[in-house]
Amino acid sequence: MIKRIFAWLSLCIFAVFSLYPMLYVLSVSLRGDNAFQTQSLEIFSSQSTLKNFVVLFTETDFLLWMRNSLFISAVTTLLGVALASTSAYALSRHRFRGRNLMLFSLLASQMFPATMLILPFYIILAKMHLIDNFWGLFLIYSSTALPFCIWQMKAYYDTIPKELEEAAVLDGCSRWMTFYKIILPVSSPALVITALFSFMTSWSEYVIAAVVLQDPELYTLPLGLRSFQASLATQWGLYAAGALIVSVPVLILFISISRYLVSGLTMGSVKG
Amino acid sequence: MAHIEFSQITKSFGRSHILKGIDLEIASGEFLVLVGPSGCGKSTLLRTLAGLETPDAGAIRVNGQDITRQEPQNRDVSMVFQNYALYPHMNVAENMGFSLHLQKKSKTEIANRVREIAQLLQIDHLLERKPKELSGGQRQRVALGRALARQTSIVLFDEPLSNLDAHLRSQMRVEIKRLHQKINSTMIYVTHDQMEATTMGDRIAVLKDGVVEQIGTPSEIYHQPKNIFIASFIGSPEMNFIEGAVVGQLPWPEAKKPGQLLGVRPEAIKVSEGPVLAQEWELGDYQVELSENLGGQTMLHGSLQGQTVRLLVDSAKEYHPGQKMKLKIDLTKAHLFDKSSGLNQRL
Amino acid sequence: MTLVLRLVFSVLILCSATTSFAEPVRIQLWHQMIYSHRQVLSEALRQFEKENPDIVIRETYRETEELRSSYQAAAMGNSGPELVFGPSDQIGPFATMGIIQPLDGLLSPEELAQYDPLALPAYEGRHYMLGGTVGNHLMLLYNKKLLPTPPQTTDELIHLGQKLTADLDGDGKIDRYGLVFNYTEPFFFAPFIPAFGEPFMTADFAPRLAQPGLSKTFQFILDLRDKYKIIPKECDYETANALFKQNKAAMLINGDWSWGDYRDAGVDFGIARIPMVSSTGKWPSPLVGTVGYSLNAHFQSPAHKEAALKVLRYLTSASVQKLFTQKVGVMPSLLSLRADAVVKQNPLLQASSSIMAVGLPMPVVPEVRGVWDSLRIQYQKVLAGTLNAEQGAQSAQAMAEAQIQNMNQVIPPDAGALVVKGLVGLLILVLLYLSRNSVVLFFRGFRGPQKFVYFMMLPAFIGIFAVIIYPFFYNIAISFSNFSLRTFQDWSIVGFHNYWEAISDPKFYSLLLKTVVWTVVNVAFHVTLGVFLAVIINQLMPAKAFWRTLLIIPWAVPQYITALTWRGMFNQEYGPINQFLQKFLHLSPVQWLSQPFTAFVACIVTNVWLGFPFMMIVALGGLQAIPQSLYEAAYLDKANAWQRFRHITLPLLAPVMIPAALLGSIWTFNNLNVVWLVSNAGEPGDQTHILVSYVYKAAFNLYRYGYAAAVSVLIFLMLVIWSLSSLRSQYKKETQA
Repeated sequence: MIKRIFAWLSLCIFAVFSLYPMLYVLSVSLRGDNAFQTQSLEIFSSQSTLKNFVVLFTETDFLLWMRNSLFISAVTTLLGVALASTSAYALSRHRFRGRNLMLFSLLASQMFPATMLILPFYIILAKMHLIDNFWGLFLIYSSTALPFCIWQMKAYYDTIPKELEEAAVLDGCSRWMTFYKIILPVSSPALVITALFSFMTSWSEYVIAAVVLQDPELYTLPLGLRSFQASLATQWGLYAAGALIVSVPVLILFISISRYLVSGLTMGSVKG
Repeated sequence: MAHIEFSQITKSFGRSHILKGIDLEIASGEFLVLVGPSGCGKSTLLRTLAGLETPDAGAIRVNGQDITRQEPQNRDVSMVFQNYALYPHMNVAENMGFSLHLQKKSKTEIANRVREIAQLLQIDHLLERKPKELSGGQRQRVALGRALARQTSIVLFDEPLSNLDAHLRSQMRVEIKRLHQKINSTMIYVTHDQMEATTMGDRIAVLKDGVVEQIGTPSEIYHQPKNIFIASFIGSPEMNFIEGAVVGQLPWPEAKKPGQLLGVRPEAIKVSEGPVLAQEWELGDYQVELSENLGGQTMLHGSLQGQTVRLLVDSAKEYHPGQKMKLKIDLTKAHLFDKSSGLNQRL
Repeated sequence: MTLVLRLVFSVLILCSATTSFAEPVRIQLWHQMIYSHRQVLSEALRQFEKENPDIVIRETYRETEELRSSYQAAAMGNSGPELVFGPSDQIGPFATMGIIQPLDGLLSPEELAQYDPLALPAYEGRHYMLGGTVGNHLMLLYNKKLLPTPPQTTDELIHLGQKLTADLDGDGKIDRYGLVFNYTEPFFFAPFIPAFGEPFMTADFAPRLAQPGLSKTFQFILDLRDKYKIIPKECDYETANALFKQNKAAMLINGDWSWGDYRDAGVDFGIARIPMVSSTGKWPSPLVGTVGYSLNAHFQSPAHKEAALKVLRYLTSASVQKLFTQKVGVMPSLLSLRADAVVKQNPLLQASSSIMAVGLPMPVVPEVRGVWDSLRIQYQKVLAGTLNAEQGAQSAQAMAEAQIQNMNQVIPPDAGALVVKGLVGLLILVLLYLSRNSVVLFFRGFRGPQKFVYFMMLPAFIGIFAVIIYPFFYNIAISFSNFSLRTFQDWSIVGFHNYWEAISDPKFYSLLLKTVVWTVVNVAFHVTLGVFLAVIINQLMPAKAFWRTLLIIPWAVPQYITALTWRGMFNQEYGPINQFLQKFLHLSPVQWLSQPFTAFVACIVTNVWLGFPFMMIVALGGLQAIPQSLYEAAYLDKANAWQRFRHITLPLLAPVMIPAALLGSIWTFNNLNVVWLVSNAGEPGDQTHILVSYVYKAAFNLYRYGYAAAVSVLIFLMLVIWSLSSLRSQYKKETQA
């Protein structure tokens, strides 16, 4: 009995802990003036207004940023899933020299402070004239999420018994068809996670987009939100409203695939 | 209908030599069982025929054509896997019809064929279900159905019944045999269970350590085992092997040599009471230690000259532990093996 | 034949000529103008485009610091905007790096003479910027409703301040302050330094900080806070802004850019000089400068250069300057406009001129950066109580000198360079030799039976190579070089210098320790919380999906949003955390972000919030794999809940949690976002740093790219060795078991 109460209490406390900052952002977005500061703890007050949301959509380029972000994220997700699923399959099913080295280097790639990679990366892009268009972003976003996703997918593929592919081969499938018709459908939980991570990488990414995109017509949501901030005059209301809207699709995505997360991530973790 | 020939098939994985020059010929329409202990190479041999492994040396010919290097997709071979290997995202009908679908057959043709096979295997009520909703036995039938739907000239079985319980196993054994009678494909069946081998095969090939020890009909293997291994492996209950003075006294010239074993099956040993016929031979004093009631018969365990010997007797009679008796054997059903070479001396 | 050729040729020329007429020249302008100024800029530019249809201008806003670093980055790739607009102190670094060009050859001396010299900051004798406004200086703003006449001296200031600082509603909290300003930023207290002593830089731009002027300034502000209590305990720009707008501050020190905002907020304010220092009788000297336009050193084509120059002239012309003055009330730089009605009739501008009269021109040399940084850091330490005012001044001098020396240092190649080059060459040869078979096999593989596999892997590895492997090796190259401010365009390999510097710096080790603590504490909390919550949800709760959904929120929201949100939540005055502490737990508010320890704690809390959902999900998955029958058997063995947890759950969960914890540790170790954004780049006093944030600062704020690359490589090596050894020991355990 005490256990139950304790459990409920803990969960509630952590639920509040987890939820509160978003509520805080919500309350800031509902404040009429640009003030970040009030002295009350309330979320909704008599002065709550939707003005910021209205201004966000009508007077700023928010919709443009959203369109750009959606486009980039969609392409990156497709690319990421395509690349990760194929190369992980090759790694899983094929033994070759240096395979272990490659696997370890996928893990090792997470260990280098990403910030230092920006500089040389920028130089490559500049030399290849990929600055200020989406191609550079497609390349870097799909590639940065890759190591984790490949690791993930490979671990999942390892759990698929070889007999399944052998049966398909005997049934008359070419190797490509085996992959496409049998392996991919069976790996859907892991694919979903890969898609999610690829999506998250590009939707929420700021630093690299700031370096690559210079034309405001091309701004993504993080860049756009940042423009509301100035060290000397931040428009907090707009920023908060934008932040909420940016977070909502990701939240929805996460929630809808959370059951896949549980099984898909475990596969990877168990096999390690 | 396919005539299959293996010539000098050799295969190694790293440092292990799995197949050491297998020669085997399988007649068209035959049901051949490959049997042997684990690691003997039977599955590997099967898989070379399927094309899932490529032999290091040797050739495989089907109807005279060398298919050793042919891609598995292009071979006229289907396979039933031990773990069923059903496609989890397709239902039963789709699983069975998959290969036909790949051959671009029409939907009606596929549906008809699938229904035909499903009725044959009594799974036609399961066509809409997914594999995870089926029991083990049902899954096995679906795997069977998938292999048969293709109407290939060769059907391979890789220990398909090992994951089923005893009752289902005996049921399926009969069904597969019946299927073979209906369909005239050449079937090759791999198992480690000697019971399946003897009940199902037209011929049995016993493998050990990558070599074919003996090949013949079940009857030949059973009654004329070439060596100790085959004699002990095939046949249930297992053969008794007796050595020592008893052996030397047997009325065979070869028995006088040192290092010989008498091999005699429990059903060939009788309690010696009454007259000893010409083909019978008295072994000696026996003391019962344990009796197992097998239903119609009883298996007695006891010691003969310090060695454990088993024999089958009629259940009607009761025997108690400690009971002493004399044993006799049927000489026509007894074998003599050389301990060092293992070979049957009297074949 | 030749006739045909000639015809073709002329057609081609015609085509290119017409296309160049048809295609407008696109000019990019980057700026950091605040919102109200941006509107005016936009208006002016659109007007220009109407009058000049062959030129299209794309203006982009970036926050000041970011403007600087992204312009630098862009310039490194020889790209970037044609025009860049920012404060005058950015020309020092830019000119040194060779990424902006002097205006002297392009604008005639007569043209230049039309402008206030303050609007034409010079560096090493050349003019790199032309500003449309002059000022950007600090002054005292006072709320006329609360304070009819402003104080003239600091004593008056203190006196009035004390009178006006009050707890109006009797709840124990001060609701109105006498004075507010962003006192943690050197720019805002710099005016006091010459008033208490000497200017903080000598005529030849050396720092002069170990002087009584600085220590007295430190002490003055400390006294304002602790002795006279007329300024808030923690006050940044936003807080000061908000308080003044809400009429909760009688006086404010801020600059001319903010007038528009206060006018719109309806505050009845006046401006005055910052009060004279009573003890010395000197007026504080606000730094007067300009915010202006510079030209990129590289242009895509002569047409671009011409167009950019045209835009530059336009934006600093009388019509545009007048527009700005009308709309946002700034002081124009054209001397001719000073007599114009629009200036003369603006009371604020008139007052502002008299304020500027006691100002000092803002130095533009890159050394200023070193001074600013050291001032900020030492000052925050003084505010936090770690140092006293005198010590702060001394340290500031030492640090400024060190930073300037570092910045100006051009490390020459030494013997180490040869060693490095030799080793690398040798290494490449050896690798090539060893892998010759593999390489041949690799390429042959593309034709072989397994070619399907190779083609499957190829695209991914091209991407990874370009994005991760190449930059990685480039970084290694830089780490052996002297790539920094002065060698921006032409760095060379110099040997192991950067590594020696890193290893022999005690700060490296203290940061390493701090980073390890950071990682361990975070991961410990992540795993513990994650497992704890997973166990509760899995074993005691119905509606698992509901709780799981709720608790996954921190992971889902983008990091840059949450980090800034938490920073806001930790705000001393307005953050909900302190409000919660006060109202519900009746504890005194904590100065989270201005004390090093609590700032670190704030970062940890934020990161824990971000990280526990991941571990919770992994744990949930692992728990599902534990068969219920084990628990049933334990139950029958009379094991209680804790024992069941300890002997069944923990050991069976370990193989799942350990790889996750390993991955989490690596991510946490290298997590820049949280520490950087929550502590605002290391505040207070550059003491809230972990290794990666320190690296980032070294590279992008201090231009020490070579050094930063070396430290990054060291970080990488440490992590690789650590993870290899833990993987190996885990592997051993598994193969033994």
